[in-house]
Amino acid sequence: MELRLPELSEKNNETILTLWHVAESERVSTGQDIVEIATDKATFDIPAPCSGTLIKKHKTEGEKVAPNGMIAEIREDGS
Amino acid sequence: MDVRDLGRITYEDALEVQLALVEKRVQGYIPDTLALAEHFPVLTLGRLAEERSIIDRVYFEERRVPVVCSNRGGKATYHSPGQLVLYPVVDLGEKKKDVAFYIDFLERTVARSLRRLGVPAERDGSRRGVWSGGRKIAFIGIALKRWVAFHGVSININNDLEAFSRILPCGESGIKVISVRQVLGHSVDMTRTKEIFTRQFVSDLQSEYSCETRSIEYHAIRGEVKKSGGGNHGVEAAGTFRKE
Repeated sequence: MELRLPELSEKNNETILTLWHVAESERVSTGQDIVEIATDKATFDIPAPCSGTLIKKHKTEGEKVAPNGMIAEIREDGS
Repeated sequence: MDVRDLGRITYEDALEVQLALVEKRVQGYIPDTLALAEHFPVLTLGRLAEERSIIDRVYFEERRVPVVCSNRGGKATYHSPGQLVLYPVVDLGEKKKDVAFYIDFLERTVARSLRRLGVPAERDGSRRGVWSGGRKIAFIGIALKRWVAFHGVSININNDLEAFSRILPCGESGIKVISVRQVLGHSVDMTRTKEIFTRQFVSDLQSEYSCETRSIEYHAIRGEVKKSGGGNHGVEAAGTFRKE
C-alpha cells in the first residue's frame, strides 16, 4: 500500500519530512505514527493506514514532499 | 469543554500534560480542552528551527536558560513568566480538517482577546502570528496527531522581552516584539487576562467551527505539578467551577 502526503489544506506552504518514527523492514500497526511532516507552523504525524511491514521509504528527513506525494510503501499483512 | 490552568510550569511538564490529554482526546475519553500556562524561562526550537535562530548563545548559557527541541511546528521562540501560553487540545477531525484554517482561527481569537484588553492587535496577511503596531505580540506553533491539535500560542503579556533580541523569533530577522504591558504602559492582571482569553476562545471555537459547547469545566490548578502522572494527567486540580 502506498503512503502518500494527506491533504492538510495548509495554503502556500511547502511540506518537509522531519522525522521517521520507524525504520525500513520494521513492522507497523494500523494507526501507529510512522512519519512526521512539517509545514511552516505545524507538524503532523501520519499514522499507518494498515498493519504490515514498511518496505520502502521514498523520502529522507529534510526532504520536501509534494502534495499527494509518495512517502513510503507498506506491505500489508496477508498480501 | 475543559479548561485547565496549569499555572507556572516547566515547558517539559506542560508537554507531558498535553501528550496525556492528546491521547485521551484521540480515544474520545475527554472533550476538547484548553490548557493555560506560564513557563519558567526556556528557549524552544520548533522542528524547522535553524542553528542561526540563536544569535547570542552565551546570553542563555549565563542565565542557565534551557534550550528545548520541541515537536511543534515553527522555529525559535522564548517563554518566561508573565507570558500567557494557550495550549488547546482540539479534535479537528470532527470539525474541519484544515490546518491553515485552524491557525487562522488561533490568530483571530488571540487578536480579539487582545483588543478586549485594550491592545490594538491584528493579523498580517503575509506573516503568521498576531501583531500590534507592526510588532509581534503572539507566536504560533502547533502539532497534530490523528487530527487532534496541540501546542498553540504564546502571548506576551507582562513578560520581559530582552531575550527576544538574542534570538531570531520564528526564524525571521528584523522582527520587533512587544507586550501588552508595553502597549498599555502598565501590567495587567493575569487571572483576568486568562479569563478573557478563555471566554473568547470558547466563544470563537463555537462560532467558527459551528460546534456546540454546552458548558465549560474550569479547573484552576494551583501548586506543583505532580511528576507521578496518573489519572489526573499529572496535574493536581485545586478547584473546579462550572460556567454556562
